[in-house]
Amino acid sequence: MKWDIPSLEELEDAVWKCTACGNCKTTYDFGPPPTFGEICPAGVEFGFDGNMASKGKIAFARGILDGQLEWTEEFVNDIYRCTICGGCQNQCELDHKPVIPEIMEAIRRKAVEDGVGPMPTQKVIAQSLRSYDNPYQGPRRVRTDWTRPFKKAKNPIKNIMKENAPILFYVGCTGAFNLPVRNFPVATASIFQKLGIDFGILGENEICCGSTAMRLGDVDEFKRVAETNMKTFKDLHDNHGVETIVTSCAGCFRAMKKDYSLSDEYEDYMGGLKIIHTTNFLFNYFKQGKIKFTKEVPWKVTYHDPCHTGRHLIDYKIDEDGSQQWKGSYLGKNEDNCLYDIPREILKAIPGIEFVEMERIRSNSYCCGGGGGVMTGYGEWAVKNAGLRVQEAMDTGAQKMVSICPFCHFNLNEGSKRLQSDMKVYDLVELIDLAL
Amino acid sequence: MTEMPMESKVDSKITKKLCEIVGEKNATDYKHIRYAYSYDLSFVKPKLPDYIVMPTSVEQVQAIMKFANQEKISVTPFTAGTNIGGLCIPENGGILLDMKRMNNIIRIDEESHYAIIEPGVSHAKFASALAKYNLRFSWPVGPPSASTSSCAISHGIGGLSGRYGLNSEEITSMEVVLPTGELVRVGSCAIQEDAWHSCLPLPRMDGLFTGWLGTTGVITKIGLRVHPTPPILKVFTASTETIGQMASYLRTLGNYEICDDLTGVSWWLSQVPIPYPYKPKPEGVPEWISFATTFSWTQKEKEAREEIWKMVVDEETKKGSSLKETVYPEEALKARTQLPSQIVGSTKNYTKQGGAGISWPGTFTPVNKWEPVYEEWKKILIGRNLSPSVRVTNYRGVHYGMLRAMIPFPKKDPASIENARQAIVECLKVDLDNGGIPYKPPVDFGLEINKRAHPGYVELMKRVKNMLDPNDIMNTGKLAL
Repeated sequence: MKWDIPSLEELEDAVWKCTACGNCKTTYDFGPPPTFGEICPAGVEFGFDGNMASKGKIAFARGILDGQLEWTEEFVNDIYRCTICGGCQNQCELDHKPVIPEIMEAIRRKAVEDGVGPMPTQKVIAQSLRSYDNPYQGPRRVRTDWTRPFKKAKNPIKNIMKENAPILFYVGCTGAFNLPVRNFPVATASIFQKLGIDFGILGENEICCGSTAMRLGDVDEFKRVAETNMKTFKDLHDNHGVETIVTSCAGCFRAMKKDYSLSDEYEDYMGGLKIIHTTNFLFNYFKQGKIKFTKEVPWKVTYHDPCHTGRHLIDYKIDEDGSQQWKGSYLGKNEDNCLYDIPREILKAIPGIEFVEMERIRSNSYCCGGGGGVMTGYGEWAVKNAGLRVQEAMDTGAQKMVSICPFCHFNLNEGSKRLQSDMKVYDLVELIDLAL
Repeated sequence: MTEMPMESKVDSKITKKLCEIVGEKNATDYKHIRYAYSYDLSFVKPKLPDYIVMPTSVEQVQAIMKFANQEKISVTPFTAGTNIGGLCIPENGGILLDMKRMNNIIRIDEESHYAIIEPGVSHAKFASALAKYNLRFSWPVGPPSASTSSCAISHGIGGLSGRYGLNSEEITSMEVVLPTGELVRVGSCAIQEDAWHSCLPLPRMDGLFTGWLGTTGVITKIGLRVHPTPPILKVFTASTETIGQMASYLRTLGNYEICDDLTGVSWWLSQVPIPYPYKPKPEGVPEWISFATTFSWTQKEKEAREEIWKMVVDEETKKGSSLKETVYPEEALKARTQLPSQIVGSTKNYTKQGGAGISWPGTFTPVNKWEPVYEEWKKILIGRNLSPSVRVTNYRGVHYGMLRAMIPFPKKDPASIENARQAIVECLKVDLDNGGIPYKPPVDFGLEINKRAHPGYVELMKRVKNMLDPNDIMNTGKLAL
């Protein structure tokens, strides 16, 4: 399988498109009324322009390409002190905008290639991926621990390798191994069963999607798991009747939709499969009137847009052949794939829910601080940053936060604990399950 | 590849001392961090600072300045680095004083219409806060993340300058740390600690810190006038065949003092983006387009303003002008009237086709000199395959005339940068010889200014600079004295 994952050198032209104007440093909308907010978690925490938004990371890229900057321990540290959230990307108006996260990850890939990255704590992830096929150093058998209540209730979940089903519920490592997040798959499977959906899981045969490896620049490990997964998925499609892969994890979803598509054989392996996030999947049932909420959830809630189900799914319009402006120019963006309205619509339909918005939402959502390998590499900072987001939620008067990403879920709950707040973060599937 | 930034000598003892003052998290000498401060949008050659320091209090700023003065270390003040004159690129290495952590809006006085802010407050933050009181400031065409106080002290201009003048004229008081570390105040806050409403009728000592390119002190608080926002916007758009006719129209309209912004742009500047390299204007298209914004509280007031505008059009038509009401390109108009603007702030309109570089001969040039200077600029710029993308604007009625050319260039290519630099400096010389004065000038411009300056002017500048900064540590070299 050949992969079109660009090196930093291949992105050099894009690097030189940055004017260093600093638009990327803060989020701003004219309105009226005008709104403003911090957008870069690294900028908020570390402050120096090098740490700040895409302006800083592009400077790093430029310095490497210029031959001015050589790897030092501190430099490597700073290229990993970024959540790759894409908040800065959303502010940029220049031609390199569509590839800003790619530039940041290309720097990391170079660091890995040169033997200096990732950071020691993050290397544990890479090692775990190699040894256990998940980043949590969890034995394979633990992957199905969350299914026990279903077995006990005599509603076992299908192992799709043994029993065919049209829908694969791809659980993801975080839902399977991270105890505080384990209610994710439980609630998802519970809803599926309540709706009579024929689905199955890979169980102990599920392996990591590779998102974490990709975000850390470990391209070899990403390719290994991605290729394995694509082969598995094709087999499931060809031999086990799978038509749709549903995932509750924003990171897995992004990886399968975007990162896997960098393979030249993506269509061959994934062409017949529909990849869909649980939220979107359930929304289709909701629209068809198949989800009927029967119970009240009397909570005042706000919604946190995860980066991976939001701005990471923006389609950028580029003048590929120069027929509209000039070759490679950024023409605009399409947010149709971003899961902004759907979770809000579902939330508002749940009886008893009072919905309020935070200030930074949708494409200008403030990252929880857990992405890009930061939760593993810089746990304390990740939680501190999550506290800032939780505070923003508390300022709305909301009693609970809702999101659709296990990483955000875990990190925001940790942030809440740090603030000694009563704020609890729920996944949307947990609320749906409560209301069904 | 661009020219490499000059390497510098870092002394770990100095880093240690700076860390003691601001804390380890807020001071560094790591090269990769310094590198990010070594360049900006302009043609100015990259240069590395030796240390980056982010103070969080006035006391820390004082301690840094005292230390730097004692050790004779250059200090370059920095807020966002978004000017296009290379003003925050350290000519002499030393400490880069990044003020972004001091970013509090201390007060918005909704009755007396002024605000007190710290230097790290961005236009975006300030605009958002002011909007809650239906107030506004004269937002420049810079990035929303740029610093409001830096714009004001550098004689920045904005969308209300047609009415109120430069943003430096909106300053009501200042708190400043001198290069020697003492804390001073100018304006009413100097007499009563909590009174930040006016620099007048005291001696204008704010002039010691405005227009000095960060060479005389570090502003730690500034009072700025803000203005109510009337609800009704009307934009008059017109075109002419020549700069002379455009100048006449803008002067006549300016006489009535009804506009917040009164601007003409050449066809090349009205394009999104500016054509790079130069391409000829299509036949039959007017060379100059103007927009003039006017705000009203009532429909009747708006109609009265429209009546005045029609009078102006009639007056110009009688003179034989080609003036016509026209449609200003929609995106460009939005970028001009919806400030602060990410679109225009990113310099998207300017640099996209050029490739990330932008500089200007930005000048204050009287309206009656626009025509001869523009005609010369056109020859220079087209001769170098650059678009004559020129803007002219009246400020405070007709008191000031601004004339500038936005010149994009690819930052990746040193030859193209040098071509743009030479073109811009040639343009500047023409302007200076016609009585114009550049604003936010890079060192290349400063040299040309000082060559022409009265000897007494240069001597006085040196004396003032020496009085405030005896060891010449503040933004060393920027005045080209």
